Amino acid sequence: MSGVHARGVRRFHFARDVEEALSLLAAYEGRGALLAGGVDLLRSLRVDIEGLIDITRIGLSYTKEARGGLAIGGTTTLTSILESRAAREYGGGILADLLHRVAVPPLRNMATLGGALVSAHPWADIPTALVALGAEVRWQGEKEGRVPVEELYQGPFRGLFRQAVAIEVLLPPWDGAFAYEKVGRTGYDIALLNACCGVGVEGGRIAWARVAVGARPDRGERLPWAEEALIGQRPSQTLWQEVQDLVAKRIEVGDDRRASGAWRREVAGVLVERALARASGRAGM
Amino acid sequence: MAVETRHRGAVGQSVTKVDGPSLVAGKPVFTLDHDVPGALVGKILPSPHAHAAIVSIDTAEAEAVPGVRAILHHGNVPRVPYTTAGQGWPEPSPYDTVLFDRKVRFVGDRVAAVAAETEEAAEEALRKIRVEYKVLPAVLSPEEALADGAPVIHDEPDAEGIYDAKHNIVAAVDIPVGDVASALAEAHVTAEATCEIPYSQHAAIEPHGVIAYFDEAGRLVLRTSTQVPFHVRRIVARVVGLDPARIRVIKPRIGGGFGSKQEILLEPVAALLALRTGRPVRMAYSREEVFIASRTRHPMRVAVKLGAGKDGVLQAIDMEVLSNTGAYGAHALTVLSNVGSKTLPLYNKAPHLRFRGKAVYTNLPVAGAYRGYGATQGYFALEVAMDRLAEALGMDPIELRKRNHIRVGETSPIFEKIGEGREGTAQVVRSCALADCLRIGAERIGWKENRGRRREDGPWVHGLGMACAMQGSGITGVDMAAATLVMQDDGSFRLLVGATDLGTGSDTILAQIAAQELGVPVDRVLVYSSDTDFTPFDTGAYASSTTYVSGNAVLRAAQSVHRQILDVAAAALGERPEVLELAEGAVASRKTGRRLTLGEIGHRATYVVDQRQIAATASFTCPESPPPFAAFFCEVAVDRETGVVRVERFVVAADCGVAIHPKAAEGQLEGAILQGIGHALCEEMLFAPSGRCVNAGFFDYKLPSSLDTPRIEAILVPSEEPTGPWGAKSISEIGINGPLPAISNAIYDAVGVRLTRAPFTPERVLLALRAAGK
Ligand SMILES: Cc1cc2nc3c(=O)[nH]c(=O)nc-3n(C[C@H](O)[C@H](O)[C@H](O)COP(=O)(O)OP(=O)(O)OC[C@H]3O[C@@H](n4cnc5c(N)ncnc54)[C@H](O)[C@@H]3O)c2cc1C
Repeated sequence: MSGVHARGVRRFHFARDVEEALSLLAAYEGRGALLAGGVDLLRSLRVDIEGLIDITRIGLSYTKEARGGLAIGGTTTLTSILESRAAREYGGGILADLLHRVAVPPLRNMATLGGALVSAHPWADIPTALVALGAEVRWQGEKEGRVPVEELYQGPFRGLFRQAVAIEVLLPPWDGAFAYEKVGRTGYDIALLNACCGVGVEGGRIAWARVAVGARPDRGERLPWAEEALIGQRPSQTLWQEVQDLVAKRIEVGDDRRASGAWRREVAGVLVERALARASGRAGM
Repeated sequence: MAVETRHRGAVGQSVTKVDGPSLVAGKPVFTLDHDVPGALVGKILPSPHAHAAIVSIDTAEAEAVPGVRAILHHGNVPRVPYTTAGQGWPEPSPYDTVLFDRKVRFVGDRVAAVAAETEEAAEEALRKIRVEYKVLPAVLSPEEALADGAPVIHDEPDAEGIYDAKHNIVAAVDIPVGDVASALAEAHVTAEATCEIPYSQHAAIEPHGVIAYFDEAGRLVLRTSTQVPFHVRRIVARVVGLDPARIRVIKPRIGGGFGSKQEILLEPVAALLALRTGRPVRMAYSREEVFIASRTRHPMRVAVKLGAGKDGVLQAIDMEVLSNTGAYGAHALTVLSNVGSKTLPLYNKAPHLRFRGKAVYTNLPVAGAYRGYGATQGYFALEVAMDRLAEALGMDPIELRKRNHIRVGETSPIFEKIGEGREGTAQVVRSCALADCLRIGAERIGWKENRGRRREDGPWVHGLGMACAMQGSGITGVDMAAATLVMQDDGSFRLLVGATDLGTGSDTILAQIAAQELGVPVDRVLVYSSDTDFTPFDTGAYASSTTYVSGNAVLRAAQSVHRQILDVAAAALGERPEVLELAEGAVASRKTGRRLTLGEIGHRATYVVDQRQIAATASFTCPESPPPFAAFFCEVAVDRETGVVRVERFVVAADCGVAIHPKAAEGQLEGAILQGIGHALCEEMLFAPSGRCVNAGFFDYKLPSSLDTPRIEAILVPSEEPTGPWGAKSISEIGINGPLPAISNAIYDAVGVRLTRAPFTPERVLLALRAAGK
């Protein structure tokens, strides 16, 4: 835990727009870093950084409705997402559910969604939710692109964001609702385990289902087999319990110093069951 | 309003803390807020190995770093065995430490120190010190330490006071009273509990820091964040080889200590760096260094066996302790002794007692003083065992305590048998409101209605638990405090005390004690504390001593000044002192009704007739250590499916005699309860197989936050301690003894499993539930 390696940092820039941020980044040839809230960068072990490029003034702080879903700018702080009217309704209130459980208010006032997407710690909550929600990220570097977060995390995304800015996170519309579950050692702890689940119903049967579990201790991933077990079924407590058992049986978990795989295996099922039950309740099933 | 001002300053009023306004205004009151021009930065090179011999140290490259002014290591400092524990003389902790040794004994042990013009230069120099180590096999648990053929951690020939260095045993005690074995064998019922506490942190907000500089006369001044300024002076003088008369120690406002600053850590290093360079030196621990290189609670395993008759009256208590002191034996013997001495007298009905234990060295961070000081570990096991005993007897746990706890006029052989690392002092309990505490606390939590109900709320099951505890008020035969009280020419007062306010509010409380005797509001008493040049001696802020020991010294000084004031007034009024009364800032005659204000008396004594300084210095030693008592009650909710435990409510009813400052006393209880909840639910230092602490910081070592804080109801149940200043006893430590057992017992009430290994993490709770087939 070496804290800030301010020693190597020589210059601090306020970029005016994305282009300037990118050209500054390019000029440092790998020894520069984009700075948003800074809460992660301050803890990082990177000692090679000479230039910090602040991107909080380049117009990427907003939360708005977009084609029935949400578009959230890359530098939007977690607090301002929590305060936005658009976010309140989305996904049955999933963002409030999630973000109230992320760290503490002073940290949420600084931390940004882009920073959370890019830092993507395996124990973090936001990646689990982004994957469950089917989020996409729009980025701009030498080229521009748009990619599902789930796909992004399967590749070498850290390299990408050393040369590109995460412009916007797009959350698609869902006809149904999500819920978030987390276990930590204290009310402000990082997760020992987390889960994000959503369901939608048509004609009395589950039309779609999303199940993701994170801090296993690996980063949040979807469990497609759990989703398949839900689709086409009638929502019921019995069904959630069946999925709970299935998750406990099949999920891939491991040990770390915070919790054992055995505990995670059993509790993963519980968190999925609880998230499903709450999500279906919110969806009015 | 007039009524209020008349009582302002009296004992029992929650007056504004004397340091409150400056803290609120953000004044530069803390150690490192002080700017000493031209100060160098001192830094320490920590050992990367748990156990290694230093083959060589090459500082050439480091010395060449621009701005580096001095480098200390074992090759260029005096070798003086000492203990870092800041205790009274004769020191009960072994002399097993030297400033820099040829051997390192834990990851984070001191290898070298650098003073440089800038922090960057100091850090660069640390990186450039070349150390060749011969890595030795490390001992990473107390069991390994005691195993046959275990590596010997203290093989240096010049260490003193280690019980059995060859077997890594720093201290051992075995105190039998009566015949425990037969009493247990014959008991109608028995119950036992073995409880474990891991490495944990004090987590004071302010890290350790010191500035060493020279005054105009060339004397060394140490401005330091300490609980023990007078011990700092004595120990630093010996270790660095300086005449103590050439050292002044100043304790400014402290940002918390909880025992971690009853330790002489940075001061001798800063002193030596200052002496070598002739320059001021600032040193501060980073939070990571506080974790690994300051002090921790002693991890312990405590096993308790109880035997009782059918009526629940205890016949025997057997307590066995295995304590891990880490790499050095700071407080090893005394914390170990306290496990028994502060717990066993509580249940003085048991005629047969045995207290035995060992404190062992390991190659892990060094344990030291921590609020509760062994009693916390002892009560965890004792009170869980009592809960079991109540169950075995089919008796309410409160009833069981009532049948066994000590009362006014009673004693325990333990008071005499176990003291501060030696024999103690026989004493009789003169004040005890524990019976009231039990009744009031039980009513408040709704014990009768709610216990054993296992109220369910989805997966959450609710349960109630309780525990009792006592502590002491100072160390008998060791502690001494002094106070000097001076009346000024304007009739106001100056109170000089060696007592060390570390955030506890003792400056305020001592002013109240004096103000009460002198019949003035608190703001007429200016307090100046803890400066070895200007204030009289005090052993320091530890062992729950300040209100009782220092407070008694202040009261005596105030009584003497009171008498002197009456004498001056008597002469002025031409009356006998016996008919005069000091109250509300004036002396009045009961006979004639004539009055003189304190201002007039001060003026007269200073300038007019029979000129003299109205002043007194008084001291107090601690012939007995009156215990405060407390009953703890809590409600928890246990999530049966994840193992998460939530403390829903905590009630503590405590008897600290007369509370001098009720709000400060409640604050001590609330803080201690929350710290205890941390012990019970989330706090634990974790180590890699190399012996390195892997969560040395608040990111991954979790303290309960406001989000985790239940409703804590602190109830002060009054008694009057006849030997205490205005009837007061201590309150600062006792609160931490309750949460571990009360929460464990509440979890049992909720879900029927006993948690005996702290902290009770979701994983441990779920494992216990599954092991019990629940
Ligand atoms: C004490 C603490 C507790 C935490 N608790 C939780 C928790 O409970 N749950 C949880 O999910 N997370 C938690 N986190 C993680 C937190 O959410 C992220 O660290 C935070 O969101 C990062 O955002 P930031 O704006 O501060 O990033 P920064 O520190 O500014 O940046 C982080 C990294 O991302 C890069 N970056 C930032 N923005 C962009 C962008 N727009 N485009 C490209 N690259 C970018 C930076 O260059 C840097 O490499 C915690 C973090 C801390 C320090």
